[in-house]
Order: sequence, then C-alpha cells, then structure tokens
Amino acid sequence: MMSWIAELKAILGDEDVIADPERLLAYECDGLSLHKHLPSAVIFPESAEEVARAVKVLARHRVPFLARGAGTGLSGGAVAVQGGVIFELARMNRILAIDYENQLAVVEPGVINLALTRAVAEAGYFYAPDPSSQMACTLGGNVAENAGGPHCLKYGMTGHHVLGLEVVLPDGTIVMLGGHGADAVGYDLLGLFIGSEGTFGIATKITVRLMRQPQAVKTLLADFLSVEDASRAVSAIIAAGILPSALEMMDRATIEAVEASVYAAGLPTDAAAVLIIEVDGLEASVVYEVERVVEICRAHGARQVVVARDEAERARLWAGRKGAFGALGRISPDLMVQDAVIPRSKLPEVLPEIYRIAARYGLRMANVFHAGDGNLHPNICFDGRDPEEVERVKAACREIMELCVRVGGALTGEHGIGLDKIAYMPLVFTEDDLEAMARVRAVFDPEGLCNPGKVLPVRRCRAF
Amino acid sequence: MRTALGRALDREAEKLLACIHCGLCVSACPTYLQLGDENDSPRGRLYLMRAAAEGRLPMTSRALAHHIDLCLGCRACETVCPSGVRYGRLLEAVRADLSRAGATPGLWSVRFLLNHIFTSPTRLHWFFAPARWLRRRAFVRRWAKGKFLPARARLALELLLATTPEEMSPGDERRIIPLAASGRRARRVAFFAGCVARELFAHTNRATMDVLAAHDCEVEDPPDQVCCGALHAHAGEIETARALARRNIRAFERSAAEAIVVNVAGCGAMLKEYGELLADDAEYAERARAFAARVRDVSEYLLEIGLRPGPRPLNLTVTYDAPCHLYHAQRVRTAPLEMIRRLPGLTVVPLTEAEMCCGSAGIYNLRHPGLADQLLERKIAHLRRTGADVLLTGNAGCLMHLRRGVQRAGLSMRVLHPIELLALTYA
Repeated sequence: MMSWIAELKAILGDEDVIADPERLLAYECDGLSLHKHLPSAVIFPESAEEVARAVKVLARHRVPFLARGAGTGLSGGAVAVQGGVIFELARMNRILAIDYENQLAVVEPGVINLALTRAVAEAGYFYAPDPSSQMACTLGGNVAENAGGPHCLKYGMTGHHVLGLEVVLPDGTIVMLGGHGADAVGYDLLGLFIGSEGTFGIATKITVRLMRQPQAVKTLLADFLSVEDASRAVSAIIAAGILPSALEMMDRATIEAVEASVYAAGLPTDAAAVLIIEVDGLEASVVYEVERVVEICRAHGARQVVVARDEAERARLWAGRKGAFGALGRISPDLMVQDAVIPRSKLPEVLPEIYRIAARYGLRMANVFHAGDGNLHPNICFDGRDPEEVERVKAACREIMELCVRVGGALTGEHGIGLDKIAYMPLVFTEDDLEAMARVRAVFDPEGLCNPGKVLPVRRCRAF
Repeated sequence: MRTALGRALDREAEKLLACIHCGLCVSACPTYLQLGDENDSPRGRLYLMRAAAEGRLPMTSRALAHHIDLCLGCRACETVCPSGVRYGRLLEAVRADLSRAGATPGLWSVRFLLNHIFTSPTRLHWFFAPARWLRRRAFVRRWAKGKFLPARARLALELLLATTPEEMSPGDERRIIPLAASGRRARRVAFFAGCVARELFAHTNRATMDVLAAHDCEVEDPPDQVCCGALHAHAGEIETARALARRNIRAFERSAAEAIVVNVAGCGAMLKEYGELLADDAEYAERARAFAARVRDVSEYLLEIGLRPGPRPLNLTVTYDAPCHLYHAQRVRTAPLEMIRRLPGLTVVPLTEAEMCCGSAGIYNLRHPGLADQLLERKIAHLRRTGADVLLTGNAGCLMHLRRGVQRAGLSMRVLHPIELLALTYA
C-alpha cells in the first residue's frame, strides 16, 4: 500500500506537499507562539475537490489533520497538537462572486478579511466582522473561530454574517450548509459549524452577507485618568440607550507601545486609559449620539473628548487600535493574550483586580479590549526563554480566568478555546455539558481525526 | 566565531525577539501572497532565522537557504510591523552568514561580477560597453524573441532593451535642459551617479543633474565614487559592501555639498544605511553616519528646497508605482507623488497595490524569473486598468523590469523616471 504522503503527492503534486522537518518548523505554532507542535506534513490544496480527496486519504490512514489560514489565531487552534497534516488554505483566495442586489459575496476560505471589504468598498458596501488582524486573517479562519472584532458590538460576530458554507466533512464528503437566505431550512447545521474551531470539517466556500456603508460615521477618542472611570463611562454609554458601532478601551501600557510603533495615532501617553468610541447611522442620529457620548464621558471624568476630524484621522485611530497587539511586542519577547467575557457592569470591579493579579505574579500587563461587549484581552508580556516566568504566566492566566468565571463571565469572546483554554472548560461546564458537546462532535468526526486535541478536554483516552 | 546574524541579534536582540508572531506582515509580503507558504512570509523567515540563531537549524539548512533566497528584500513587512522588527538588517545578516557557510544557492558568476566587476568603475564601464552597443542593434530584438538563446539570456536581453529608449552614452556632456537663465548657483549638491545607472541610464542621470541645475544647484559628480554596494549587501557579500561604502565615504567627504542626491531608490536606501553597515568600524562609524545624514532622494531634495517645474504643460495621464526601497526602506512615501502632482498639465491616476514589489528587486528577476514574472503580471493587470499614458517609478531596476512587462503585454504606456518627466517641462 502507498504511504499517505505518496498518496497526497499523487493528488496535489510533489511541490504542494511539504514533509521536510526543516520546512515544517514555521508551522509549529500560530499567532499564539506559546504552544508549539510540529506537524507531520503541510499541504497546499487549491480546490474543494483536492481538499476532499486529501481528507479521504488521511481518514483511510487514520492520520489527524486540520485547516490553517494565515495563522493569526490566538488560541493555538491551528497547531497540529497530535502531529498530522496541516491544510494550508492561503492559496484558495479567490472572491468567486459579488452580488450587490442580494447583498452577498461568495468567497474561498483563504480570502483575507480586509480584502473582501476593499473589494466592495467602492460600491458602498463592507463586510462587518473586523478582527484586529483583519489585514492578514482569512475568512475561513474567521468562520472556524466565529471571529469578532471591534464592530461586532453593533453588527454581531462572524456567525451573523455567514449565510452558507460548502464544507468538506471529516470523511471527505462535500456538503452544503445553509444557503443564500436568512433562515436555514431543516436543521441549523450552519450555526453548529460556525465556531466549531475546525473540529467539524473544513469550509471550502463561504457565502457572506455584505452591509451597506452607513450614511455617517463619527469616531471619538476620550481619555481618562483612571481605568475605573473609563469602565464606568462604558457602562453609562450603553445604559443611556446608545449602541455605538464600536467601544474600545486601551490602557497606558498599550498606548505607550502603540505610540512607539508605526501605528502611532496621537494617543495621549499620560492617560491611564482611552476609549475609542464609534457611532454610525443616519446623519441626524449620529450628531445626537456624539453629543450624548461626549456628555457621558465628561460626566465620568474624561479629561478630553475629541472627535476625529476626517477619514484619515479615523483610519489612524483604528490602525493604532488594531496594531496594538503586535505593538506590545516592543515590551517583551513574548506575549500571552487572554480573551474572557464578563458582564459589562463588572468592568470597574474586575479590571483593577486583574492588574492586582499580574502584580502579584510580578508580571507586566497591558489591556486593550472590546469594552462595549465586556470582552477583555489582558496581555501579559513575558520572556518565553525563562521557564519560571512561563509558569507564573500560566498561573496568573488561570487566576484571571477563574475571576472572570466567578463574576458570571465566559472563557472566550472571539479567539476560541483552541488548545490554550481547554483546561478552563470544566470551570464553566459540567461533565454532562461536555459529554453532550463530545457527542455532537462524534457525529461529525467519529474517528477523532479533525483538529484533535482542541476545544474539549481529553479524558480516559477519548474526547470528553 | 560569532555569526553575522548572531552579532546583528546581539545588537538587535529585542528586534528579532520583538516578533511576537502576530502575523500582520504576511499579507504585505509579495512572496507569501503568491505562494501561500508560511516559510515564504516575513514571519516564517524570521522564525527560520531565530531557529538558526538558537541552534535549532544548522546554517547549512537547505530550507533556510531556500526561503531566505526567495525573499525579495522589498521590506514591505517593515511598513506594517507594529512591533518594529528591523527585517532588512536581519535579512542582510543572515545572508552574510549563509554566504560564509557556502550555503547560498547563488551562481558563481554573479558572485564574480559583484566582487570583481562592480567594484571597479573602469571594469564596469568595459563590461557594459558591449551591452550599450548591443542595445542599439536591431537584431538583438530578434534574438530576444527567438528561440535559439537560452531563456535566461533572452531575459537579460529583454531587460537590456528596456534600459533607456533615449540614446545617450556615459560621459555625454550634452544638456537636456538649457542652463537656467539666472545662472545662479545658490546651493552645492553632490550627485551619486550609481553604477548600472551611470552605464545604462545616462539620460536619466543627465536629466537629474540638469533639473538640479535648474533649481540653482551647483552639481558635483565626485570622481572617485563607486557602486553603493546594495547588490552586494543583498547577496550576502557584506564585506565587499563595506569596502565600497568606505570608498564612497572618502569620495564624498572631499565635497562640501550640503546634500548627496541620488535618483535610484535602491542605492539611496543603501547609502542612507551606511551608518548601520559600518557601525562596528571604529574608524568609519561616525563618518558613515555623517555621510548617511546628507543623502537625499532627488524627489525628497527638490521638495525640500522648493520644487520649480518648467512651464510647459505635458497633457498626459500618468500613474506612479512606488519603488520598495523608496517607500518601505527609505520611507519616502509622499515626496515623489507630491512632485508629480505639481507638474503642469498632468492627470495623476492611482495605481492599485502601488506599494507592492513589481518583482524586479535588484537582480531577483534574473535569479528567480518565474516568481518575478508572476509579480510583474499582477502589476501589469493593475496598470492596464489605469489607462495611463505614462508609468513613473524612481528606480533603475524597476524601470527595466516594468518596461519589459509593458512591452510584452503590448501596452502603449511609456515607463519613465519621474525626473525625466520633470525635465520635459523645461523644454
């Protein structure tokens, strides 16, 4: 019998199957470099048929496999934890159709998030979910992680914008989930698939909703002398019945890192925290909401609230916000980012506690996050070459997570559980909850070959 | 012995480690966009470099050599890196190590040319003499199209034919712009003529000197200047690059000119980085920094002293492609466009992906013709949609590569250095 490598080469060609360990090295981690596992091979399929044929080979040989886009994920979701084959989908990057009349587009999974918005911008449309890595991350990865982004506060996560999927199941069959309409007929398998973190199969075609650009957009920058004041302003804005399209917070450490980078946005480096608040909609409502937001920020101790004067200034603020994670690389060689969601009202109480935890472990922390959804991203700056420090990072992360769960939070807002947060799953789910999830997973992937070792903790030699 | 990468790392420790793997660079990387392989992305290449520096990969690793070799060196990744990784410096360092380890897949003939021909203006002049003769011969066009020459030789001929359509030989003293009427010489500048540019782009060089003269500049052409060393540094021949840098520093130190003006983006980037190239040279470090501080791209300099285009309206639609070593390496991003916008009678139309490498990248198009042509086709597709009469770009290599692309695609577009268009406004 042919080896599976030889079979893959027969399907894809020698060039498009990498098995040389030296060339696999760069594939040992994704955007979260803490977790490193060398895959057995990396392949570069260019069509659904190639994906399906390769999956069939691997299923027959019982070799685990997973899909990868740009590798910008932050939960270790695209790491071959049990070895196996990475399907690198970056070459499947064609926009197949754009239908303005029905406000939808059909794309391949390797299309870069921002490339889609750029392709439709001139016609007055955009694709709403905008993760901070949108200039690099792929829509396939966004589907797997049910990715969010600043503007999901108003527009919703990836799941709200995907209408249909063509999927290669873990046994190699190609199926359609959902369609072009708003409601799926039959079981809502689409909803099940989105956010399944690559464990239910590989999406090879994605139909997404396109949104009309709002008539007016205003972006405000408010700076505060304490993180608590900024947090209270966040709650007050939402309590006042205003739904900003985005409501982001950056603390001083983040501001300093951003201002030292190519994405410097003119943020005040002496502020304890800034809020970036964007409102959009009809001209008249935007004018009203800007006034209200300014009032509320001032009432909660904002030193200054400025409105971006033009599109260039707006773009600069957003580039600063979206480059923040990478800019934190200036502080230390490695970065651990957490992704917990807490009730918005708990922000003023939880944020200072998170800083205290970091201080107790002697770690540097920077916070930059989607305040409007209570979606925290505490970033811990550390040096991965120091094993003792790595242990402290892990311990601090666990305490932060426990704190968030205690106040009624969730383990992830948008990055997924992946590899990184598996250990926390029992904090929020009972054995029965996890068993139910494992049974669903087994329906899609009875052999446990599709992105194994992710999402659900493993016990007694099987996915929980 | 410490490796060059090791030393660069000691100095730049935080700059390689500064890569926290966020991946924002991958979509800015032309080779990644074309190949979709992490190993051909800036993040992946840094990962390989880090592995080599930490001993996880040997310097003789074929994977390391291959993927480092495939890098264009366009430095678009530096423009988007939030963490401030100095990719270009690390690339030069690892290439120097690979070259020393004998692991660079380059041709021996390229190495011979770089170390023995490009180091001497006289030898270079004689080397290019047949080339200049050939480019005026009609049969060369047939040879370039014919099948009897090997593909790489045909490619070289096509590039040669794309050098300069205006006939002019080096040393030709004819002026393009009549001497400015005022005859005032308010400023003194030293012109950096370049090596290939001097031999094959004499017309562009003449235009640059004449335009400077029209801006009341006394233009010197320091006699002992040599090749800037960029091709050497990019190919890992770092010691030859340093030797050339020292000669240029000496040649221009004799001049009291307030600026060293250069019209080739790749040379300009190298000259501006002499301070870093010779940082470890006790005798030259300070002099190199002083030299670098005087270097200006011609567009940058003209805007600095106040651009004064001639009166003749050009009535053309033009578009601009940013040379990587101007946009990403020198970070001169607005000056050339600003200059073009102020020329009389021009309609300037934007070019999609104007900041993305055209595939020329020094001698990359000769070494990796397949990938270089894919990038060229991508560029041509965008150019076709502009409907421009003229494409402007300020780098010798890009001019040849793009002209060849435009000719092959059958476009009627002309490809010029912006300074040549500026020169036309005085006629």
